[in-house]
Amino acid sequence: MNEIFALVEHRQGAIRDITYELLSCGRKLAEKENTKLTAIILGHNTDDLVQILKSQAHRLLVVDNDVFKDFNSELYQITLNEIMKKHNPMLFLMGHSAFGMDLCPALATQLGVPFTTDCLDIEFMEQKLKVTRQIYDGKLNAKVQLRENPGYMITLRSGCFPAGEGSLDGSVERFDTPVSTQPDYRKFIEYIEAAVGEVDITKSDILVSVGRGIKDQANLSIIEDFASAIGGVVACSRPVVDAGWMAKDRQVGSSGKTVKPKLYIALGISGAFQHIVGMKGADTIIAVNKDPNAPIFSEADYGIVDDLFKVMPVLKTKISEVKLAKG
Amino acid sequence: MDIIVCIKRVAQTAEAEVKIDSSGKDIIKDRLTFDMNESDTYALEEAILLKEKFGGTLTAVSLGTVEAEDTLRIALAKGADSAIRIKAEDFQELDGYKTAQLLKAAIKDLKFDVVFTGCIATDDYYSLVGVTLAELLGVPHATLVTKIVIQDTKAQVHRELEGGLVEHLEMTLPVLFTIQTGINEPRYASLIAIRRAAKKEIKVIGASEIDPANIQANASLEELFTPSVGKRAEILTGSMDEISAKVAGIIKEKGLL
Amino acid sequence: MNFDLTNDQKMLQDQVKKFADSVLAPVAPDIDKSAEFPRDNIKKMAELGLLGIIVPEEYGGAGFDYISLAIAIEEISRACASTGVIVAVNNSLVGYPIMQFGSEELKKKYLPLLCKGEKLGAFGLTESNAGSDVAALETTARLDGDHYILNGTKRFITNAGEAGIYVVFAYTNKELKHKGISAFIVERDTPGFSLGKHEDLMGIRATANCELIFEDVKIPKENLLGKEGGGFKICMNTLDVSRIDIGAQAVGIAQSALDEAVRYSKERKAFGQPICNFEMVQSMLAEMATEIQAARMLVYFAGYCKNKGMARFSLESAMAKYYASSICVDVARKAVQIHGGYGYTKDYPIERIYRDAKILELYEGTSEIQKIVIARELVR
Repeated sequence: MNEIFALVEHRQGAIRDITYELLSCGRKLAEKENTKLTAIILGHNTDDLVQILKSQAHRLLVVDNDVFKDFNSELYQITLNEIMKKHNPMLFLMGHSAFGMDLCPALATQLGVPFTTDCLDIEFMEQKLKVTRQIYDGKLNAKVQLRENPGYMITLRSGCFPAGEGSLDGSVERFDTPVSTQPDYRKFIEYIEAAVGEVDITKSDILVSVGRGIKDQANLSIIEDFASAIGGVVACSRPVVDAGWMAKDRQVGSSGKTVKPKLYIALGISGAFQHIVGMKGADTIIAVNKDPNAPIFSEADYGIVDDLFKVMPVLKTKISEVKLAKG
Repeated sequence: MDIIVCIKRVAQTAEAEVKIDSSGKDIIKDRLTFDMNESDTYALEEAILLKEKFGGTLTAVSLGTVEAEDTLRIALAKGADSAIRIKAEDFQELDGYKTAQLLKAAIKDLKFDVVFTGCIATDDYYSLVGVTLAELLGVPHATLVTKIVIQDTKAQVHRELEGGLVEHLEMTLPVLFTIQTGINEPRYASLIAIRRAAKKEIKVIGASEIDPANIQANASLEELFTPSVGKRAEILTGSMDEISAKVAGIIKEKGLL
Repeated sequence: MNFDLTNDQKMLQDQVKKFADSVLAPVAPDIDKSAEFPRDNIKKMAELGLLGIIVPEEYGGAGFDYISLAIAIEEISRACASTGVIVAVNNSLVGYPIMQFGSEELKKKYLPLLCKGEKLGAFGLTESNAGSDVAALETTARLDGDHYILNGTKRFITNAGEAGIYVVFAYTNKELKHKGISAFIVERDTPGFSLGKHEDLMGIRATANCELIFEDVKIPKENLLGKEGGGFKICMNTLDVSRIDIGAQAVGIAQSALDEAVRYSKERKAFGQPICNFEMVQSMLAEMATEIQAARMLVYFAGYCKNKGMARFSLESAMAKYYASSICVDVARKAVQIHGGYGYTKDYPIERIYRDAKILELYEGTSEIQKIVIARELVR
């Protein structure tokens, strides 16, 4: 069957954004390949999900069982393995998320289907699949061809395929899971919410965010001074948290928080996609980085190519002047 | 407890300029430094911590050229008992799937309770070797692991999800974990350990042990290219004073001062 | 001929470099400012074995060779010059003479303490009126039964304020001149031994540099290092070794100056382009890099001579120390020049590096003394 499948990703009752990106990408491909898109929903009490997603796919394949209340890649794998064996889609799309990363390689390996991960672009031509991926810390792209096969499985990077409104009226098909209990070897226990710190970076209009370029924890005081001068809050990228210099609740990015401030000033942040996805919703982005080729400059509205420690003191003075002039 | 950790030597490109070579399929590596992949250093540390707690053996495995032995030796100095290098030069173009199969071939006869890998390699960005290897070994896995507490054969595991959320799992050994950065504080090898590690032999296996004909790749590289820049920031120029004045102006214009 | 580092040297370099970059470098500006001795970092270095690099394992050391010693000191000094000399003194001015000339009892008693960092070492040679001119020492040690009675004052002693074990040189018989000098191990808590003035130094400011004051200090006879009257020979032989790592310290400091200069010259723009495009800046960078590499080779070669077991390698070690310290000062000067006015402010690390560099031409034998040593070896 030359169909396209996409896996619906949901957590704590909510459909995750990547789902719409997968389905939108899947619809476009289906149209081009003159075939149909199937959305696979594994969940419990899925009626709401089905209603929301009906317009997004030609068919919704639903496995409703309380064992799927939360994500467990082992259970998903067992069930999807059955579904795939039955349907053999030409392409199965998943998100390159904590969810898809855990599932796709194992399922594809079990099925013997060629697969690859973290795709930014897809070209499908006469059964051949070529994808574009980012490598070397996002500095280069690689075009990769998959081993030719009737079916493929890939994960898509979030933010690369625009979500869209669907106008379909998908049929609903049910499928029974062969498993009804969580296996002993991998049991979902609970979600743990990140501890709430004293500052909520998602609430601030102005974020001054620092990355690897800060070099040392001691330098944070300069940034804090600047942030308070401008009426903002200090946030950071992952390496700063890994180094133990700032608390996890200040981290912006895929594994941290998604922020949408009015102003985002990125200092010494190179702009790995994991960071970008967390801050690209900001109204205005100003980036300071020594490397003129840093990916952050592709996302920012304004850029300063210089050492952040040279920029900060002068900028702080200027901002105080402008403030005074106004007051 | 018997533990295996898979590590990779990668070009350090986070703060370096990366250029494509004349073949169009590789980068110019002459002036790049190479080191253990970042999340692998955390995986190694986690493996050492487990070994220190429960005793047993720790084997480090790396697929790479002879230089990878330097990286394996660091693993030995930090606490691994033995090391295996799979000769990358024997297996032509590699992808994550092929890598996982080679790792499996190298460790399939070893006893293990836990296998560690990093969660992503900063060169090829696949994030698939660990999970694929787990599937090939027939053991359960968890990716993006940020905490592990083991008691008897049960492991309480934290996975890092998007948005700062953590997933708590309970798993039964044997198991494979792909480790996220920041889970621990990787140590430095002591000088005495370095001297002892320098004398240790590294087992090298290649085409004579693993038949390349049986190892299939999923993906082959067509070309490398520099990403086209869609939107591009307006780069502010002038003296530092002028640049700062412009920035202050922009911020004021947005009504934020 | 082989320029490759051995496996253990490569690993040592890798790990010390990482440690220095992430642990030592971040505090270097602070301890320069406060002149506070970096106790926490010294403790961490002890755990890694960096306080007993060349001491055999049986005495608690790491058992490395002298090129490894140089590699480690270079990496440490590149990150923090103060820490570089603190470690160098512990290793080669105190650890080395004890392991080379001490009795089995002394080695067993003191080396493990030094290596584990339980007690740091300091080297008490220089006095107000005796530095280059060792024979002008005024400190005396008089045998009195089971003890020597030590009197005198030592000046400019690195680690003095934080050490527990001091190798001290004194006349046991002034009439015999050089042959009347003896070396002793003095413990910090010995009655009559006190610390004097703490020096407020221009560079390497966090090194607890103080005076040592000995007033009728009773030292057990067994703490005589080597033979009575053998002090001058111990001193000269020890300085030969320590010049390897002072040379290495110079290479490390010079390397940090070059790194800063390269970084700055790529970032700083003038006349519409980065200043690294200008040939006069390039000329300076090229000279700096070449001189540093030449100095490093001389330092490694001195280490190689010692590794080989050459009884005398004063020529090689004096050359290494003389050349490395001269170019270090010059490289730091050029690096400041490349920074322009900014290099003269405390906003940039090069200001500190420039101050740190100067000591290299002064301590453990001034450049003038090194040249005398070199020349005498030539005409002897």
